[in-house]
Formats: sequence, C-alpha cells, structure tokens
Amino acid sequence: MSLLEVTDLKVHFPVKHGLFSTARESVKAVDGVSFKIEAGKTLGLVGESGCGKTTLSRAILRLVDATGGNIRLDGEDITTMTGRALRERRRKFQMIFQDPYSSLNPRMTAGDIIREPIEIHGLAKTKSALNDRVAALMKSVGLSAEQASRYPHEFSGGQRQRIAIARALAVEPGLIICDEPVSALDVSIQAQVINLLQDLQREHSVAYLFISHDLAVVEHLSDDILVMYLGKVVESGPAAEICREPKHPYTQALLSAVPEVNPADNRKRIVLQGDLPSPIHPPSGCPFHPRCPLVEARCNSEVPPLRSVGGARAAACHLI
Amino acid sequence: MPLLEIKSLQLEFGTGDKALRAVDGVNLTVEAGETLCLVGESGCGKSVTALSIARLVPTPPAHYPAGEILLNGRDVLKMDKRELRSIRGGVVSYIFQEPGASLNPVFRVGSQIKEALKLHRPEVATDAEVARLLKLVGIAAAESRMRDYPHQMSGGMQQRIMIAMAIATHPKLLVADEPTTALDVTIQAQILDLLLDLKQRLGMALLLITHNLGIVGNIADRVAVMYAGQVVETANAKELLRRPLHPYTKALMNAVPKTGARAERLQAIPGMVPTLGNFPSGCRFHPRCPKVQADCREKIPSLVEVEAGRGARCPYWQTP
Repeated sequence: MSLLEVTDLKVHFPVKHGLFSTARESVKAVDGVSFKIEAGKTLGLVGESGCGKTTLSRAILRLVDATGGNIRLDGEDITTMTGRALRERRRKFQMIFQDPYSSLNPRMTAGDIIREPIEIHGLAKTKSALNDRVAALMKSVGLSAEQASRYPHEFSGGQRQRIAIARALAVEPGLIICDEPVSALDVSIQAQVINLLQDLQREHSVAYLFISHDLAVVEHLSDDILVMYLGKVVESGPAAEICREPKHPYTQALLSAVPEVNPADNRKRIVLQGDLPSPIHPPSGCPFHPRCPLVEARCNSEVPPLRSVGGARAAACHLI
Repeated sequence: MPLLEIKSLQLEFGTGDKALRAVDGVNLTVEAGETLCLVGESGCGKSVTALSIARLVPTPPAHYPAGEILLNGRDVLKMDKRELRSIRGGVVSYIFQEPGASLNPVFRVGSQIKEALKLHRPEVATDAEVARLLKLVGIAAAESRMRDYPHQMSGGMQQRIMIAMAIATHPKLLVADEPTTALDVTIQAQILDLLLDLKQRLGMALLLITHNLGIVGNIADRVAVMYAGQVVETANAKELLRRPLHPYTKALMNAVPKTGARAERLQAIPGMVPTLGNFPSGCRFHPRCPKVQADCREKIPSLVEVEAGRGARCPYWQTP
C-alpha cells in the first residue's frame, strides 16, 4: 500500500464574467492527475507557473476541495473528510512553503512557531517534554536551542526555511509537501537546505512531494518525477531515466532550457515559442501542440492519453 | 578607450561611524559590443554597482568616497543633472527583474515606449516606430498589442516591452539586472536568446547581472564574480566555467546540482552570506572558505592578475 495515492484528481475553479452571471466556464487547474508516493520516497513535480502544481499540492492538503477523483493517505480516503477527522489526519501531512519571509508569523518566536503544532496535536504530555522536543527539533535542522526566543526577522532566509522545516517535522508527518522550498534562497544556501532535506528524510523516513521549476534540483532529490503542463501530467517515471532520456517534447524542451554550469555543454537548446496558453481556454487536442516543435495534424484534434512507454515510464504524446 | 570603465569604486550608505560600505574598490571594464556578466549572491553589491553607472542610487543616503565611473571617458560621478539626463537612456538603459513592477500600470505599453522616444529621439516618436520596436523584440500583432495595458500581458511579454523601451533610445550599454529570475525556464531561454540577438543586431554592450552561473556560459564574453562588496574573480566566461580559480567561485559551482550527473550529496558552502555591515575582517570569504590559512583572517587580499586576462582575489588560489 502506498503512503499517498492520488487517482484521477480534478480541481476546477468556476470563472464568472460579471457580478450576477452564473459560472459557465471553468479553469481546469488540475485535470485528471494520478500518482503514488511510497513511504520515505521523493516524488518531484515539475512544471511552469500556471501548470497546476501548487493547486495539486493544496488539494492533497485539503486546502482546496477536489472537483473529482480521490486522495488516499495510508489507504484511507481523505477526499471529502471534514472537521475533527480531517484535523487529526493533518498530522500526517505537512507543508513547507516557498517564501520563508511570509510563511512565518512575525509576532511569534521561532520556538513558539515550532511549539504550536505539537500543542495542537497534543504530542507532548508535560511542559518540559514540550521544551525538550522543540530544542531537539531546532538542533536537528541545524539551529541552536538558544535561538528559540528570537523572532523570524532576526534570522536569515536559509535559517527561516530551517524553522519552517522544523515546524513541519514537529508532528512527525509521513509526508511533507515542499512547494519550491529553495527558490527564494541564495545559491550557496540552497545546497545547505537540500542536503538538510535529504538528511532528515533518511533519519525520519519521511516522504516528500517536491515541487520545483528547477529540473536540476528535482533530479538531484527525487526518486520519481511527474511533469505537468496545463493541469495534466505529460510525462512520469524514474528521475534518472527522465533526465537522461526525456520522451515528451515538452520535457525535452524544459530540460534543454535549464542553464548549465557545465562548460563542455554542447547541448542543442530547444527554445519554445510563445507563452503558456490560458487554462480557461486550453488548446484543443494535445494542450502542448501550439508550442510543440514536432506538431502533426492529429495533435490539434486528438487528446493524447498518458500511456506506458516502457518500464515504469509514461508519456502523453502521439509521436512516441 | 573602453565604453565603460569603473575604477576602484566605493559606495557607502550613511555617514560617519555608521557608514556601511556596500561596494569596496570595484574595478570593471566593458568594451563596446561586449557582454559582461556580474555574478554574485544577494547583498554582494552587484545591483548598486550597476545602478551607479547612471547614478540611479539616491545620494544621500548613498555617497561615493572614492572611485570613478568613466562612460565614454567622462566621469559619471562628476556630471551635473542635465548631463545625467542625457546619458540615462541615451547611453545606458536598464531592464530589471520584475517587469510587472517596472511598468506603469495605468498607461498603455505603447505610450510608455513612446515616452522614451520623445525624450531621446523626438523626431521618430510615432506609432510606426513603436510598432517596429515591438516587432524587433518579437511581439506578434504589434499594432494591436501596443494598445494593451501591462496587466493584459504575461511576464515574458512584459519583459519584452521593457526591452523594447530600453533599446528604443539606441543605448550603447544595456544593463540587465536579473532579467529572467522572475520568469519560467522556457521563457527565460526566450528572453536570453532575444537579448543576445538584439545585442548583435544593434551592436550594444550588455552588462548582465545574475546569481545564476548557468546563464553565464550561454551568454557572456567575460565574467566578474562579486562577494561582499568586492570583485573576487574576473575571467573569460568559458575559462571561468572550465577552471574557476577563486575558492568562492569553485564552491559556488559545486553547490548547484547538475542535470545528468547525479551526485549523492551537494557540496554546500557552510555559513551564511555576510550582510552589509557584518563583513568579516581580512579576506571576506575566510569564514566559509575550505582552504583558509592563518593570515586570511587579518590580511586583506587584493585582486591580482594571476594569469593573462584572469584576476583572482586570493593569494592561495594555487593551493589544492
């Protein structure tokens, strides 16, 4: 049994064109996405802004309601769970956000921020046990226990992200959703936080859903990768295989667009034309066809299904 | 005579004992038609150095205790207001990180481009010229698009408008301060391609500021790496990527994950990026340097030419 199993998940938002009009159109932010995450593993989720990766993560956390499909955590369907039952399950999945400058309450000390989830879930019996636990958590993310009385503004960006990680770990979750956790950090600090995430995974055997637009970082951290485009999965499979030999033209373009430090880099860069289309009026047929360098006649009428392309890999393209 | 020559520039914020030196003895040269990349992490002084070229840093609070900024042989730091007005746009143009924040939301993009033309090339301040510029930066349906407001465009399009505005005045030097950081990778590739193409077609020099060493290989002729207000290494771009000499540059390159070469662990740089006012004594990188020696703590190293065309601010650059 997988830790997290998402089946045919759909999240559609109605679009209203005036104050009194009824919604006739909808944004299909997430449109039929399925995947699994095993305990202690990392799934990387890649895509450009507006492809639905953040909405997908919010739906899994039950911060937005799913329009269709279901989400099973530890074999238990949480898609429509509410109230107390949901609150108890929330212990099992936590989140780390992109911007550590806005995800921490500026009026709470670092210690209080980490303490709060432990108190809410009643995970410490006594006050001293609580304090010990906060100190241990701070230590495990590379901060010292004396820093517990400081406020977020007294920390640097990398340290704040460590506080956010400690807060997520405080309730011993099985899954942490990391939404672009290193994008806002300096290059030299990114590596520290990535290493920390890997160490913590080994120690606590926590699974990550790691969302990023940086394919190099995702490849480094992930066991498997899911590539999204306009609310749909266009390619999935083991990280090393996808990065070595991407099958879908979008994944190929995405990989070739990553600026490389390697000086012997002679890759042919595929520069995609045009912008990401509007998700309200997605293109007919394959959603990628207006930007695809390999487009054929049938691409603008037939929607390519996500199908197996050998081994554990799948891609949604007519031409594979 | 080089187009731009910055000589031992110092920039301080505040006065007296409380003065904070953000830029400390920076030397840079940009020849006509050349691309120089200025690489560094947040707070290293790269942006204020670039803004100083057109005296865009407000004085006070800033002031320049020493140094010269020679633009076409004339010192920008000694120019009066009228002269500054003529070089801003006339000789140096800027594009910035957030195109959405740089454009005025209440004016149509066409009229914003025309404003720059009215000041510097009043004889061609026409719709036809605006349309020509928009086509030059790759905007389709230029005649109708120039009547759009900034919010009606995507981030990539907005950055194209900024570029059109910057090149409208035929500058000799285009300063691009993190022009692609806020954009998706596929759009980033488009914008970098456009900048390279325009540079060649219009014969401009380009000063590109970035924290991403990966961009350097694709676009730069030469690179200057900054750390804590000082230039620590200068080199030809390909040379730098093939064989970085300064320990900071080496560490920075090792800290980013590379696609296709999966390493178990990233080599993170320990410690934090020093903030303004807290620069360490001696070599500013010594607290984080893997090959720190006893005298690094006190002796301030100078930037010396260690090989033809290559400078490094580290006396131990040959030490393995």
